[in-house]
Amino acid sequence: MAPTKTTGNDVYSVILPTFNERQNLPIITWLLNRTFSEQNIDWELVIVDDGSPDGTQDVAAQLVKLYAPHVQLQTRTGKLGLGTAYVHGLQFAKGNYIIIMDADFSHHPKFIPQMIAKQKAGNYDIVTGTRYAGDGGVYGWDLKRKLTSKGANIFADTVLRPGVSDLTGSFRLYKRDVLEKLFQSTEIRGFTMQMALAVTAKSQGFSIAEVPISFVDRVYGDSKLGGEEIVEYAKGVLQLWWST
Amino acid sequence: MTRAQQTISIALLVSSLYLSLYLELVPLPALVQTAIVPVLPFWALVSFGAWVLFRLGWGMLTFHDTPEAYKELMEEIKLAQADLRAKGVSVD
Repeated sequence: MAPTKTTGNDVYSVILPTFNERQNLPIITWLLNRTFSEQNIDWELVIVDDGSPDGTQDVAAQLVKLYAPHVQLQTRTGKLGLGTAYVHGLQFAKGNYIIIMDADFSHHPKFIPQMIAKQKAGNYDIVTGTRYAGDGGVYGWDLKRKLTSKGANIFADTVLRPGVSDLTGSFRLYKRDVLEKLFQSTEIRGFTMQMALAVTAKSQGFSIAEVPISFVDRVYGDSKLGGEEIVEYAKGVLQLWWST
Repeated sequence: MTRAQQTISIALLVSSLYLSLYLELVPLPALVQTAIVPVLPFWALVSFGAWVLFRLGWGMLTFHDTPEAYKELMEEIKLAQADLRAKGVSVD
């Protein structure tokens, strides 16, 4: 791939784990394409689909063709989870910067150029989107959801004191070698992995910067957050407290 | 040093400091010794609880809702759907 004029030889790989995202996937890809093209940024998208039964892979194949050579589809045969999807996707990513985000529009690609600029400004190892600082915010949460999220954040913040305002956020830009090192440093692979990555990064002395983002909650599709996830989350926080 | 080691070390330090006061190893005015020292741990616990609740309440009060982001996103979704359909991608 020829390097672009504005960012030299940098290639930004977006790793997008999907499960039943047939409605969201084409639109998020369209938004990514628009953002990166407008900013003249060299990009690729690695879709990691866990055997979605709703036809996600068919749509993905169409997108691979439409946006060639930027999009690739990697499939797995079962619902193996978010954390391992990131690790799997990284094997196929060609970029020297990796962006992790959700496929359901809660993470808007328009913030990616801001994250890239922030990363360049201070040569940070990691830039994370935050919903809780600056003019970061959320749309579509009722009081219960806000309480749950803020409560979870305060719990993690008190136990771990990580110095990051949105520990559970999963819209992040990583230097590739930093992410590879972090994957080796922690064995946590559930959905609490992003939290583990941030805490482990801090304890290993990597620099983390924040960019306020607006998080628009699920437009289509069902959330995968339930009581079981909350227990797993608490266990994840305590495990991190013990080992990091 | 892990977070756990750090927390436990500080907890041990604070406990031994408190114990030295409780066991009257440090001379204190009688009023302090009998009325304040024994209730310090409970006071600390309640204060901590109040602090956490305050943070939670403050977080709820200052929570930033972003309806403009939602509207903007809805427009973009329509644009994207039209463009994608035209280019032969199956869009609901």
